[in-house]
Amino acid sequence: MNRIFRGFRAILYKEFIVVGRDPMTLFFMFFPPLVQLLAFGFALDMDVKHLSTVVLDEDRTAHSRKLIESFVNTRTFRVTGEVGSVREMEELIRQGKAYVGLQIPPDFSRHLAAGRNAQIQVLIDGSSSSIASSALNTALNLAFRQSALTLLPQTGRRDLPVEVRPQILYNPAMRSPNFFVPGVIALVLQIATVFATAMSLVRERERGTLEQLLVSPLSRWGLMLGKLAPYLLIGMTMGAGVFGIMVWVFHVPIAGSLSALAVATFFYVFALLSLGLLISTRAQNQMQALQMTMVFMLPSVFFSGFIFPRETMPWIFQAIGALLPATYFIELNRAIVLRGAHFLEFWPTLLILAVMAAGLFVLCAARFRRKFA
Amino acid sequence: MPAETMIECERLTKRFGHFTAVDGVSFSVAKGSIFGFLGPNGSGKSTVIRMLCGLLEPSAGQARIAGFDVAREPDRIKNLIGYMSQKFSLYDELTVHENLIFYGRLYGLSGAELTKRHDELIALTHLEPYLTRRASVLSGGWRQRLAMACSLIHQPSVLFLDEPTAGIDPVARRELWDLLFEFSSRGMTLFVTTHYMDEAERCSHVGYIHMSKLVVCGDPDHLKQLPVVNPPGTKRLDVTCDHVTVGLQAVRHERGVHGATVFGQSMHLLVDAGLPEQFLRDKLAAVNIHQADIRPIAPSLEDVFVALTANNDGGGK
Repeated sequence: MNRIFRGFRAILYKEFIVVGRDPMTLFFMFFPPLVQLLAFGFALDMDVKHLSTVVLDEDRTAHSRKLIESFVNTRTFRVTGEVGSVREMEELIRQGKAYVGLQIPPDFSRHLAAGRNAQIQVLIDGSSSSIASSALNTALNLAFRQSALTLLPQTGRRDLPVEVRPQILYNPAMRSPNFFVPGVIALVLQIATVFATAMSLVRERERGTLEQLLVSPLSRWGLMLGKLAPYLLIGMTMGAGVFGIMVWVFHVPIAGSLSALAVATFFYVFALLSLGLLISTRAQNQMQALQMTMVFMLPSVFFSGFIFPRETMPWIFQAIGALLPATYFIELNRAIVLRGAHFLEFWPTLLILAVMAAGLFVLCAARFRRKFA
Repeated sequence: MPAETMIECERLTKRFGHFTAVDGVSFSVAKGSIFGFLGPNGSGKSTVIRMLCGLLEPSAGQARIAGFDVAREPDRIKNLIGYMSQKFSLYDELTVHENLIFYGRLYGLSGAELTKRHDELIALTHLEPYLTRRASVLSGGWRQRLAMACSLIHQPSVLFLDEPTAGIDPVARRELWDLLFEFSSRGMTLFVTTHYMDEAERCSHVGYIHMSKLVVCGDPDHLKQLPVVNPPGTKRLDVTCDHVTVGLQAVRHERGVHGATVFGQSMHLLVDAGLPEQFLRDKLAAVNIHQADIRPIAPSLEDVFVALTANNDGGGK
């Protein structure tokens, strides 16, 4: 044991001093992720609410006003003004001043009273697909419900034949932060930790101190573990910080066990730090290390299930996602934080993450050359 | 009785792709000697040192330190050797004290033993006033002392120094050499690369590497007696005069003059033994140099290397 990790305690001693004496590195480890978390968390709000809507009411009856009111009552729409013509309505949408235009033709209430087909026109800005589909669904739903309720007295029934009683589990208010923040935490931890270890070994290479280490009896396991341990502590502290922000700033409660979350974070951070070390065994300078770190960033955003569900991706992207630690950490996060899942339900994912952490560590120590050529 | 051999190279070769950085270099260094390794930039000095320290794998040939093969038994030699690289690689964030403690622990020292070695080296290098200073604020000479102390904390049998005096002021340079002699007298073997001829003169043995090949190796006094350095029927002269570069142009291509090099305010000439002094004075007078001090000299190490390099290049063509 002592032979394998020879020199570990010396490296640990030095790393703690170096990290502690270099406030800029600590600052750049902590500060940007914090800003990213807050920015991501607040900006990634996919709840479509209060879309600015302009109205062209040519009917001007109690019926038409009631219809507009029921649009507003869905809380998807918010009337921001009235216009005099369809052209004006289109112009406002094109200028981006309104997302939705609602036109009620002059004969709307007349047709309705006569039992004829009464039409209204809804213009929707389709340039943002999630907003458009949300607005469209709400409008169609509203029309169907209005129609059904109008026809109901004629059938002699008192209520609608079929009614859905939805119950949203685990995130009853369907708030975006609950969905996004656990994923954002995974990314924020990744940016800070991979970078930290990748830089720390490359800096020694650039300065020439690595050579000095290589002529000593220090073992590569001792070197790697000594490099990793201080950042593991920092990473866990950062993890506690970002989960704190999740609970107290974004009001996303942790439904499951805190210790399970801590264990998941431990393995995740360990895997990322090992990934950083793996990068540092290949990067010749800090610029290369930075670029290699970035290579892992984009797939982690797109293929980890952070924004887009992995199940619907082509197999190649699913496969890439399956190689990323972030994928498993996000899965664990959602299971523990949102669903309050039990250990028996998520242990396979945790095991994969643990194996990844151990595998990456072994790989970086194995690939690290004690010789330069 | 021959001294015990500490470092031994046999046809040591290092190739980087098609480029041969070190080409079949063989030499040996006796225990307790100071071996000066000289050669121009890029001639392969550092590559040899790095192979001997186990940082580079030899492409061919062998190197042994205290009998252990550097390529096959690297772990056996790590505790035997100390290495001070060109850059005096220290941790800038750590203080002088912490740097020493770190390197001590790296070699498995701890407790009272580590404290004892630490205090000894601090006393030896006079670093006491700077113990709590960070390495980043030390000047070149003090950085070099600290780097040296760090490379000595585990009491190595062999210390490799890669251009230890590059960029150091003359006083620090003198003091470093005083330290080296002291270590040598205690039985430590020193392997030093340098550009300075005066440093080479102080070594007990020197090797000169040129274009990846070891041109010569031996004790400086012995080298100065080599026939190739002192061709039969020639003598070396020191000519001190004004406008020495003008004077050099005036005499260098004359019949009977085989070599001419400027040394500060004078020039060193290798001329036919029978060349009259007046001949040179006349040539100098022709370019308006009327005052010249001409005296015979023994070859310097620099003359030795110049002669051997020329001989080597000529032989190769």
